[in-house]
Amino acid sequence: MRGGSRIRTRRELKVSLIFLAIVALLPLVVKVPYWLGVLIVSMYFAIVSAAWNLLAGYTGQFSLAPATFAMIGAYSSGLLYHHFQVSPWIGIPVGVVAAALIGLLLGVVVLRLRGPYLALTTLSFAEITRLVIGNSYDLTRGDLGLSVPAIFESRLAYYYLFLAVLVAVQLGLYILVRSRAGLYLQAIRDDDVAAAGRGVNVVRWKTVSFSLSSGICGLAGGIYVHFIMLASPEIGLVLQTGLVMCMVVIGGMGTLIGPVLGAFLVEVASEAFRDVGLSHMLVFSLMVILIGRFFRDGLWGLFDRLRDRRPAVGRAPAAVGRGGSS
Amino acid sequence: MLIVDIIVSGLMMGSFYGLMAIGLTLIFGILKVVNFSHGEFFMVGAYAYTLLLLKANVSAWIAVPSAFFLGTLVGLATERLLMRPLYRTYSEWGVMRDEYAIIVTFGLSLFLMNLANQIIGPYPFRGPNLVAVSRIEIGSLMVSGHRFVASLLALVVLASTYLFMRASRWGKEIQAVAQNRLGASIAGINTAKASALVFSLSSGLVGLSGALLAPLFHAYPAVGVFPALKSYVIVVLGGMGSAIGSIVGGFLLGVLESLGATYISYAYRDTFGFLILMVVLIFRPQGLFGEKVREV
Repeated sequence: MRGGSRIRTRRELKVSLIFLAIVALLPLVVKVPYWLGVLIVSMYFAIVSAAWNLLAGYTGQFSLAPATFAMIGAYSSGLLYHHFQVSPWIGIPVGVVAAALIGLLLGVVVLRLRGPYLALTTLSFAEITRLVIGNSYDLTRGDLGLSVPAIFESRLAYYYLFLAVLVAVQLGLYILVRSRAGLYLQAIRDDDVAAAGRGVNVVRWKTVSFSLSSGICGLAGGIYVHFIMLASPEIGLVLQTGLVMCMVVIGGMGTLIGPVLGAFLVEVASEAFRDVGLSHMLVFSLMVILIGRFFRDGLWGLFDRLRDRRPAVGRAPAAVGRGGSS
Repeated sequence: MLIVDIIVSGLMMGSFYGLMAIGLTLIFGILKVVNFSHGEFFMVGAYAYTLLLLKANVSAWIAVPSAFFLGTLVGLATERLLMRPLYRTYSEWGVMRDEYAIIVTFGLSLFLMNLANQIIGPYPFRGPNLVAVSRIEIGSLMVSGHRFVASLLALVVLASTYLFMRASRWGKEIQAVAQNRLGASIAGINTAKASALVFSLSSGLVGLSGALLAPLFHAYPAVGVFPALKSYVIVVLGGMGSAIGSIVGGFLLGVLESLGATYISYAYRDTFGFLILMVVLIFRPQGLFGEKVREV
């Protein structure tokens, strides 16, 4: 799970670009609109997962609200169209700004809290937002949802738009993680007290990471809503956040490639499981528990380790007495 | 609606809230982590009670303790299989334990929910009432018979849990481990046993509250989501790790929600709790009864 050396990050970028190049060629083989749709949804989740991984995997901040920020992006564009007939091409950027700003505000307020408190606050933020949107019938049509227009005629156009955004996000994260700011974030993740001691402005960098992650989620949600053509509170269900967490943990937390691999694996396998009649979440949640318990660097870490024949990460060596109280 | 009416119904809901939340706060006290699968232990209790009554036709007075014991067993298994790494080695886990606990318990929550969905099915079962009496009159107040008996039961269990924690030898051992795990183990207390005890007691109690609330909430795979969220609000309000705090917090939330639903807005009644939680976390993170945590 502890990635971070520049060579490893570079390799992760290389592998994820190769993987995305294969994805770019897939429409040559996959002609069924249904499966194209599955791949598009996978890319939506890959973007949200990558954003959450920036926060949870690289900065160590467990937010339980990524789906909520996607919902904020979706509703920004949906509401602008519904009430003022604003074009989605303006609505989507507005959604990104709205999500990033709300993320910034929430970040300033909650990021002084740590660990379970942060998770609880973001969880209640997620629930409040969903309940308010679901109950404000006059503004948002509540649980019925808002119907929004499509931005493209063909699925292929959506496919390549999502792919372009995903590639851009991956490249952006690569640059960020390798920069000085990326080092600050990882220092905060590993030990925020020590990081503060070495002069890292912990609250500021946590806030930056939170806001950036929220903005990316908002972007993903904004495009996604014009693909499914319905803005509904379901986009922000905590279960969706659970799905994002499954994808990141299964793929490999704190790695550049993990969330992308995880998102495609989980989303495509869900469709396969549906035919067998087995609940896909049953399998994935079990995988999350096992990965969390036994090999915390996920499938990418497992693959990486088999390649290098390195011993497992996360099996702590000798126990150093550090009392349970803090 | 009379104000006394509203407050009494709030207090009755509060006794259930307290029973739901007390286990969560005990776990936080001893392990310093939040159990995100708390609601699914509630679901286990609700299903145990409902299915025993509907399918096995046993008496309600056997079904309620069975729900407690089944909850205890699930909690014990969770502690054995998943929580042990939290207090075995601290060299690397010290920093990572929050992440580990969130991943594993959130995963367990999704797992149990989907397991119930796969085995029992998504359809809700309505649990039969504890007593046949449908209405009880107390002075001018009318209360449903089930709610009345169930909240009395909840009060008795809450009081005995509190006494157990304060007065019994095991309870004192648990408090010692919660205060200082290393110190307690040097004093000869089996810290692993204390943690296992807390975990199984906690899931047993929330399972019991699931059984008592099954006739009101019905039993279905996602039934635990709402009680879990309420419990998070209550333990933060009362102070993480404080048993008395969660009891007081439960009553407070019950009354506030009841008042808010009548005088402010019924549609938004569930948002009040979350607003309280955010406000408390921002201005008084240690809650009403919690202790301030010092950082090194």
